Amino acid sequence: MRSVNLHLKVLIFLLISLGLGSIAYERYVLQIPFTDREVENLWTIDAKITFDVPRESSVSTKFYIPASYNQYTKFSESLITDKQYGQVLEEDEVGNKVAHYSIRRTKGPETIYYRLALSPNFGGTEKPAETIGTTYRESIPMEGAAKVAADALVSDIRATSSNTLSFISEAIRRVNDIDNANVALLLKGDDSVKNRYAVAELLLSQAHIPVQRVNTLELKPSVDQPTQIWLRSYIETSNRDKDSNRNITTGKWYYFNLTDGSVGLPKNAIIWWVGDDPLVTVNNGLKPKVSFSVTDKELTAISLAQANNAESSDFLAYSLYSLPISIQYGYELMLMIPFGVLVILLVRNVIGIQTLGTFTPVLIALAFRETGLAFGIAFFTIITSVGLLVRSYLEHLKLQMLSRLSVVLTFVIIMIAVLSIFSYKMGFAQGLAIGLFPMVILTMTIERLSITWEERGAGNVLKISMGTLVASSLAYLLMEIPEFVYFVFTFPGVLLVLAGFMLMMGRYRGYRLTELKRFKAMLKEEK
Amino acid sequence: MLTMIKRWRALRKRGVMGINERNGDFVLKYNNRKFYPYVDDKIITKERAIAAGINVPEMYGVIETESDIKHLRKILKDKTEFVIKPAQGAGGDGIIVIGDKFDDYRYKTVSGRLITLDEIEYQISSTLTGLYSLGGARDRALIEYKVSSDPIFSSISYEGVPDIRVIVLMGYPIMAMLRLPTRQSGGKANLHQGAIGVGVDIETGKTLEGTWLNEIIQRHPDTNNHVSNVTLPNWEGFLELATSCYELSQLGYIGVDMVLDETKGPLVLEINARPGLNIQIANNAGLAARARKVEAHLAELKKAGKPAESIAERMAFSQQYFGDSMVESLEG
Repeated sequence: MRSVNLHLKVLIFLLISLGLGSIAYERYVLQIPFTDREVENLWTIDAKITFDVPRESSVSTKFYIPASYNQYTKFSESLITDKQYGQVLEEDEVGNKVAHYSIRRTKGPETIYYRLALSPNFGGTEKPAETIGTTYRESIPMEGAAKVAADALVSDIRATSSNTLSFISEAIRRVNDIDNANVALLLKGDDSVKNRYAVAELLLSQAHIPVQRVNTLELKPSVDQPTQIWLRSYIETSNRDKDSNRNITTGKWYYFNLTDGSVGLPKNAIIWWVGDDPLVTVNNGLKPKVSFSVTDKELTAISLAQANNAESSDFLAYSLYSLPISIQYGYELMLMIPFGVLVILLVRNVIGIQTLGTFTPVLIALAFRETGLAFGIAFFTIITSVGLLVRSYLEHLKLQMLSRLSVVLTFVIIMIAVLSIFSYKMGFAQGLAIGLFPMVILTMTIERLSITWEERGAGNVLKISMGTLVASSLAYLLMEIPEFVYFVFTFPGVLLVLAGFMLMMGRYRGYRLTELKRFKAMLKEEK
Repeated sequence: MLTMIKRWRALRKRGVMGINERNGDFVLKYNNRKFYPYVDDKIITKERAIAAGINVPEMYGVIETESDIKHLRKILKDKTEFVIKPAQGAGGDGIIVIGDKFDDYRYKTVSGRLITLDEIEYQISSTLTGLYSLGGARDRALIEYKVSSDPIFSSISYEGVPDIRVIVLMGYPIMAMLRLPTRQSGGKANLHQGAIGVGVDIETGKTLEGTWLNEIIQRHPDTNNHVSNVTLPNWEGFLELATSCYELSQLGYIGVDMVLDETKGPLVLEINARPGLNIQIANNAGLAARARKVEAHLAELKKAGKPAESIAERMAFSQQYFGDSMVESLEG
């Protein structure tokens, strides 16, 4: 007995930890939300590329598209045009993705839409391999007053900074200080972000620090959003490795805000392309222009996770969500059955209510799913009462059990049909919902009830029917909570936890609540 | 809620056994399923009892198939008293007790109802289809000797035959109860049908208080006589019979139902592998407390390397520890 106890404890522990582990894995590694009410934004970015083709000719455009999506994942990507454009994708040396759209013959104003939909990251934690930058560059040659001003600024910056990172921040801060005479001289009266970037690059090149221009788009609902310019630099840092006692150098891109010199890209910034080249160039086209509009559409989190992970995550690819939708409904129902059984287990073993058989209440609860609770209870009561009445009448005819039951079942079916017609005429559509399944369950129930009547009497039948109805209603209510159904279906590991709990219940030795009443008489005596 | 918890703890303290505890710690632990047919089928029980020399009501015949029913008349012949019961029935369902013959075609049940041979055959046919058996499996009908109740019970029993149930754990009788039929129970001795349960002192065979539908009572509702302080005749014989049913059934936790026949003395009627718990109310004592005592005793024997005790030794142990005077010391 002792070894069995240990065995059971280990088994319970394994089941519960396995179940909880799988839930935690899905939640925290795959980022699957606990409820389907958590809605997430699906960002749709439309880049509208327009240009004019003055005379009929072949046209090819070169358009940068994002190579990485920061904290997001690509949901879908498409090109929307009214003409057949050929498209070729390539990657350039700094890691940009370039789309070439070309067409043999066209004329007049042209519009191409590039649509990118981004969603929060589910499942995929893989990051695209970052390109490695250089850490040294030649100074941009300068002359005269500009050189003097630049040198003065650089030595000033050097005095107030300690490393490359603070040097760059400090340089950007200086460039934004338009009152500074040296800066004003370098900006030459043009204080656009683009020019400030150029001046910052110039200053940093004097200190041999290479920088790149980064063009980003912000994920916020907007129309005609301009791209923002950021500055980035590849900075290496050395750390002393304790084991080998050698210096390990690691490099990383740092992003600088061009208006205040702060470091780090915000979460909602998407790098569209890197470099000084224009976003779009068109061969044989005039006035190329790109305008961005961004919208957020709400989608339930799970539909996003589904779409995202279909190819990216093996785990979800083998989850219930990979099944066809219609089959999913069936499994949704099936996975809830153990919880219905749990209710019966608690009602019988802990509360001590008598029910008809062990799993009949679960079957009745399933039948309620098709009829609804109030209608289902009324239906159950009417049909079983009539069934039992017919049975007790047939009692007088002294028929054999099997033929008597068959007659009862036939009458039950007639009753169901009649009730369906009446309830339909009275405007209850549920009457029609009585499918084959509840019919079978009802007839089975009447068969069992009539046997109970025979063996234990009418009072007992009433008691057991009430217990069964209470248990089935509870089971039905639990099995119908949509959040719960979603949870079980999405985190099937919870069934293992449930199995562990059921095993524990298998060793439940406590009193049933009804026994407390039953044995009350034994305690009165003592007082 | 608080009173519930208090009651829970008070019951635990008294060693009152609940259904979950009975199922888990006793029935599942001590009763090997493969021996269940020994007790679930009354015909097998009877055959094994006869082989072991244990007194049971004589078996007149068995009807196994529909076509066997035609042998009924031959089995009954000129018998005027007999009982027909399903071999696998439970809770006293489907039993006909015939007390007299009216004419060639009609019999009289003990409750005075006239019943025709056709009706008896119909009941047997229902029995064979499994109407009264557990789970509705096909069954056999058994025709046996009708016990005539010892007159000692006439003052405290209404019709029917009172029976004596003893709970036996690993061969040690731990609690006993006398079950008295009432008008409500229709002459049957089943507590859930309204019969009275009266506790019996294991040591002396003297009746204690009674319980009727979970209430404690002093007097029989039909005869108005006190049910306590009646000394059961041949108590040692009953105890020995019950104790020996452990060897007969091979089951560790059983309820043995016995009757006292006017002429044949104590007889074993049936053995139950899942005996009910109302016996505790009748005895005003907890089964678990007594069962733990036996388990401790068995563990001691095992530790000392002693062999299993004989029937007489086991009876002596139970009478020493489960007598009414010893009960209080077990609790708390």
